[in-house]
Amino acid sequence: MANNKVITLKKTGLEDAVAIARKGTHCGMCRIDFLGSGLCPSGKKHGYLAYWPQGRMELVKHLYEGRIKPTEKLLEIANSCTLCGICDKQCNFTTQLRPEKVAKAIKDYVNNLDKSEFQNVPEDDILRGLREIVGDEWATNDPNIIVSYTRSIIPPDVELNYYIVMPESTEQVSKIIKFANKHNIPFMARSGGTTCSVTASYVLIKAFSLDHGIVIDLLRLKKLEIHPESSTATVGAGVTTFELQKVAYTHKLRVLAAEAGAHYCSNIATTGIISTWGNNYGSFADNFVDVTQVDEKGIITKHSDIGILNPYSTETGFANVTMTPSKIITEAIVKLHPIFNDEVAIFVPFTHLKDALSMLLKLGKRDVGLSLAVLSAKYLAEFLSPTFQISRDFEYICKNYLKLNWVVSVIGTKDDQKIVEEMAEYTMDQSLIKSLILGAPRFSVLKDSEFLRILSEEDDPLKALFAGPMRKHLEKSLDPSPEQVAKVYDTDLQDFFKKVYSKPEMTDVVWLHAFRILPTRMLRQRMFSGPGGSIWSGDMDHILNWIQMFADVGDKYQLEHSLGFITPLDHGNFLYMEYDYFFDHNDPELGHKIGKTFIETMEQSYVMGKVITLLDYLFKGMYRKEHVLYPIPEGISKEEQVMFRELLESTLGGEETW
Amino acid sequence: MVKFLSEEWITYGKQFMLEKIDPAKDLKNLTTSLLCVIENVPPNETTMNLYLEFQQGKLTDLIVNTSDTFTEKEAVFVITGLYGTYKDIIKGNMSLSMALLKNRLKLKGSKIEALKLIKPIDVVIDSLRKITDEFEE
Repeated sequence: MANNKVITLKKTGLEDAVAIARKGTHCGMCRIDFLGSGLCPSGKKHGYLAYWPQGRMELVKHLYEGRIKPTEKLLEIANSCTLCGICDKQCNFTTQLRPEKVAKAIKDYVNNLDKSEFQNVPEDDILRGLREIVGDEWATNDPNIIVSYTRSIIPPDVELNYYIVMPESTEQVSKIIKFANKHNIPFMARSGGTTCSVTASYVLIKAFSLDHGIVIDLLRLKKLEIHPESSTATVGAGVTTFELQKVAYTHKLRVLAAEAGAHYCSNIATTGIISTWGNNYGSFADNFVDVTQVDEKGIITKHSDIGILNPYSTETGFANVTMTPSKIITEAIVKLHPIFNDEVAIFVPFTHLKDALSMLLKLGKRDVGLSLAVLSAKYLAEFLSPTFQISRDFEYICKNYLKLNWVVSVIGTKDDQKIVEEMAEYTMDQSLIKSLILGAPRFSVLKDSEFLRILSEEDDPLKALFAGPMRKHLEKSLDPSPEQVAKVYDTDLQDFFKKVYSKPEMTDVVWLHAFRILPTRMLRQRMFSGPGGSIWSGDMDHILNWIQMFADVGDKYQLEHSLGFITPLDHGNFLYMEYDYFFDHNDPELGHKIGKTFIETMEQSYVMGKVITLLDYLFKGMYRKEHVLYPIPEGISKEEQVMFRELLESTLGGEETW
Repeated sequence: MVKFLSEEWITYGKQFMLEKIDPAKDLKNLTTSLLCVIENVPPNETTMNLYLEFQQGKLTDLIVNTSDTFTEKEAVFVITGLYGTYKDIIKGNMSLSMALLKNRLKLKGSKIEALKLIKPIDVVIDSLRKITDEFEE
């Protein structure tokens, strides 16, 4: 029977769609208008994930595998797509995927089905109750909608025993929670879903997902108001970082931004806003003035309520790890920061990490710059390159010919620029970075060129390139232009991308840093896990040993790995590091290895001490940094290490399942 | 098999824990007390309390009552959560520690001390699972 089903489906063309869909990573970039191409009209109208390109990609896989049967809703989902092609543009920019082919395959498949065979999904008492709260349209138990939330809150291997509900107000969230409690049904709020999708392939899915119950999709809480007079913004839980930043920019204001597609309120609740601007703009509770939140009993409170218990205090250490926010933030009043007219971007290239970190710390401790980070060559290559292959070649050239392994990235004013230029022997300015963005395809083909061979024979290739006459030759050979970079895209998209790359902001490093649309390229058709945390900055050897530990664990499990970025915090007293392990999220064996790397690196971090691990960061974003980062922890004892293992085994299962 | 929190369950539970759990091997001779506050118990959304006391790994007291407050004894640890959460734990759908990490249970008491009890308490839950398969709906 199963074979017959597959044969039938193959005829419909779903097989090609599934091949595309398996590469989807739920980056969520199809839900923000970051290219000025507009938004998916179907998703915008219907809200549920199944109506967005990322949801369709999930849906088609499960339809193909027989996890769900077609329903009337599937027909509606399929036919709500106008094949406008917006998703292809957005997805191609970040991941080179073509989700429209998936939408078309579903459309063709569903419209050829015998509608009399559609599964009937009756309304039950729970659904009726939820619909009374939010309206008929905004609560469902249809498997074709539920399944689209797989990997972004629902684990891939469970029965679809869920309801999806989309409230539009804090009061509705409160009513849903009270209703769920009354009926003893677990619930979990979902925003962008990216954190869940990153953890979906390995052991943390057990902690980050909902095994059954009510998924509260917060997308409809779209309130967004800027208050220029107080440099603040009121942000609903459905507003993404990109949307907030876009509106803030129209007032010459900027918000501390992490992932573009992440919902801002959720980002606060999850880890706080982890960003390269954190040394200047602050971290954890520094970034908001007030929050409206709903607790596990459905009670609505605000931080500004008089008489509430101190909401900013927490404890760190593995005994205080938590895997879900204590409250659902439905609205926040967040701080905005001024944009200066003389902001510039400067990159300082380095061969050795220790040298890069020394400069970063000097800058961080002196509060120089607005955004500060050490980026690895891999990070830089992933961000600047339009395709995966180009990023590979870009990185290869940086490491093997230029000895460019790290850059200190600084966004600051002209005053900051002067300080940086006095400290550095040579820098990469905005004009050169722009050339690298628009000339990335040409740069990558220089891989085996005579030019690079000669350059690599210099004592200091970086100096020869960035402070000598070679720079002129490089810029000339790159022939940077929107036309040049657009050529690497599919033929039918080249005109569009020529226009995209002609926009000044797409090569403006300050804008790109502030809007954070390029980091999603890390999710190009495969997943990554980015453990790390904050380390006390006072001991360089300890920092380097800590970083080496992450590399050693990556080697041990034979994973592609690289330090992502390091940024100072709290006036340079700490350094936050993300260390990335890349893997195919469809391969369970690799997922298993990723689980092990996560646990081992966190355990070793606790043992080493002076580290606030990513585990300690989880769901601590609403607290004061003074409580999360201090006191700086010492390494745990052998006895505590045993307890840590026991905690893991009790929550995540035995080591064989990690 | 008996209904969770029923009179029979209390009797069987006591008997089972006394007979089948090894104080030294399974419970590491622990001496502590634990109050489980179980909210929203169907059908009337009442609150029930389950108090367990151990001396040197041996169950010395097990009390179940229905009341918004529990004043009979003062427990070292108080764990509060919904009936549905306790049901998931007893049925083995979720571990106690995962329920705590996911805020489905609230713990009052030292967390680091509570962590030391994870393994022994898991043994107690395992034993309760063996006598319970019926729950209020």
